[in-house]
Amino acid sequence: MTAPQYSAAPCVLVFSEDNDVVLQLLRVGRQLADQCVGSLVAVNVGPKNVDAAEDYITRGADSVLFLRPNQTGGLGVELLVDAVYQGIRLMSPAVILVGATRVGTELAARLAQRLAVPCAAGCMTLSLGVAGGLVVERYVYGGRFIAREELRSAPLMATVQMKRFEAAERDKGRVGEVRELALELPAPKVRLVATRERTRSEVDITRAEMIVAAGRGLRNLEALAILKTLAELLGAELAGSRPLTSELEWLPTDRRVGLSGQTVKPRLYVACGISGQIEHIVGMRSSRTVVAINNDPEAPIHDEADYSIVGDLHEVVPALIRACKERHRQKV
Amino acid sequence: MTSAGDLPKALNVIVCIKYAVDPNQLETEPVTGKPNLARAPCRINNFDENAIEEALRLKAKHGGKLVGVSLVSQAPPKDVLLRALAMGVDISYLVTLPGQSRPDAYVSAVILAAAIREVAERSGIAEWDLVLCGEASVDEYSGQTGPRIAEALDIPSITYVKSLSVNEGTLRAVRVAEDREETVEVSLPVVVTVGMEASRPRLPTVLQIMGAGRKPTVEMSAADLCPHLVGMETASVVKTLDVSAPSTVRRREVLSGETPDAMAREVLRRLIEQGDVWFR
Repeated sequence: MTAPQYSAAPCVLVFSEDNDVVLQLLRVGRQLADQCVGSLVAVNVGPKNVDAAEDYITRGADSVLFLRPNQTGGLGVELLVDAVYQGIRLMSPAVILVGATRVGTELAARLAQRLAVPCAAGCMTLSLGVAGGLVVERYVYGGRFIAREELRSAPLMATVQMKRFEAAERDKGRVGEVRELALELPAPKVRLVATRERTRSEVDITRAEMIVAAGRGLRNLEALAILKTLAELLGAELAGSRPLTSELEWLPTDRRVGLSGQTVKPRLYVACGISGQIEHIVGMRSSRTVVAINNDPEAPIHDEADYSIVGDLHEVVPALIRACKERHRQKV
Repeated sequence: MTSAGDLPKALNVIVCIKYAVDPNQLETEPVTGKPNLARAPCRINNFDENAIEEALRLKAKHGGKLVGVSLVSQAPPKDVLLRALAMGVDISYLVTLPGQSRPDAYVSAVILAAAIREVAERSGIAEWDLVLCGEASVDEYSGQTGPRIAEALDIPSITYVKSLSVNEGTLRAVRVAEDREETVEVSLPVVVTVGMEASRPRLPTVLQIMGAGRKPTVEMSAADLCPHLVGMETASVVKTLDVSAPSTVRRREVLSGETPDAMAREVLRRLIEQGDVWFR
């Protein structure tokens, strides 16, 4: 395949307010830059940081642009948009990639509107088409289908699903340019009054080999404790659907599996009292083996399971715990 | 607190409503693996119902106008259309697109922003205090429309909001990020996108559903609002190459057994057999 033709060497610009996500964007950004024989620039809002710059360059960036605002402290989305917009004006990138965090989603939408272009949201794969368009794959219709779309705007803009790509690897031999641009930003209209950190887990469930997941079918916190016992016996991590993590807050939000949460790919996924709304299925579809425990034989989760037990989880899970203990004793 | 005799200002709110295909009822064509859009029922985007709920709570407290606006390529069935009015929205405006046009998110936001201004004028107010949207649409899940409208109107946006209140022209909202909740304040006007963590939307009563038919629905043409954008087809900028269902092959075996213990032993036996569970 021939590389698409550009008048000048095209530039791929990546931005995320989350450093882990920047490293993921550098991997896919590098692929696109290589495809169009262009350069990759990582944009960071804040004063020049030599360590961060070196990290980005060894991981694939050709240059790192620091946008230093006139005020100190963290900026809200509102001013991040203004800052990154000035970076875009300076670099005139052909492609702009933003991490699809909640801040990134809002920021990309406002930037795209300012630039009068569309923006493909939550992309899972990205490549350049023969004619120079951006070809992406992303979930549509609540995650039931995958659309392949081609964007033909200038610039080409997309947000990239979090954790879809591994962090780019380091190559100590790489060199690059570091720039800093001082910005005059207006006073923010939106004022941050208070922040409440939500409890965070020690573990990253996207890397778990086994997962026991809890859904709305759980009667109370005691039921959750029973699931925890099962998880410990199996050596599994505990996860939950959206109602359990967001509404009830029985589990930290970073243990939420689904379109609005994490995408997991364990060897075994045990869904307990989960109905199987498409929002959840999207997050666990890549599991190797799925066991569903749900007392509703009509629940859609059974269509997504290898083995289904139609029964009350409050009876079935204790039975599973007993069965595990029996097996365990046989081993000893 | 407002001093005695000083009436609290009424709050004028416009809610953007999307009528979308219900993904949970969308079927896959068995041969092609493509979605059967023609047969899929349409509904009000569920996140937008959360936005309407918040708007109704504000109206109960502050009074003022509560209007719904929607961009459609063809009007949805009457029962779907009346849902927002039955919930308590006063008037609904349908902005119709010409022919087969499918505007992209940029063009949609320009048209909606123009409609929002036009409806304010028709309602006899200078501008809306609050523009409410759902955090995303259930079909696209892009989460772009709210912030794009804010950009087009040149006002601030606050996204993924869980709860909000207004006091003397200042909005206070709790927005939910991945790992934290932020309480923010901003002077009106502002665009707020309401998340699923917000209050559960109310179910309209039978009486409200019957009464909704008497509330006005006004049609407006996108071509009249934005003559410069007419004929601007999304196909030129965003082209859908393919839509297909992801393929997962599951055994879908329902385990039979007399007791939970029997079923539990059976499933564990199989999992150990195929190497998905092991005890060290």
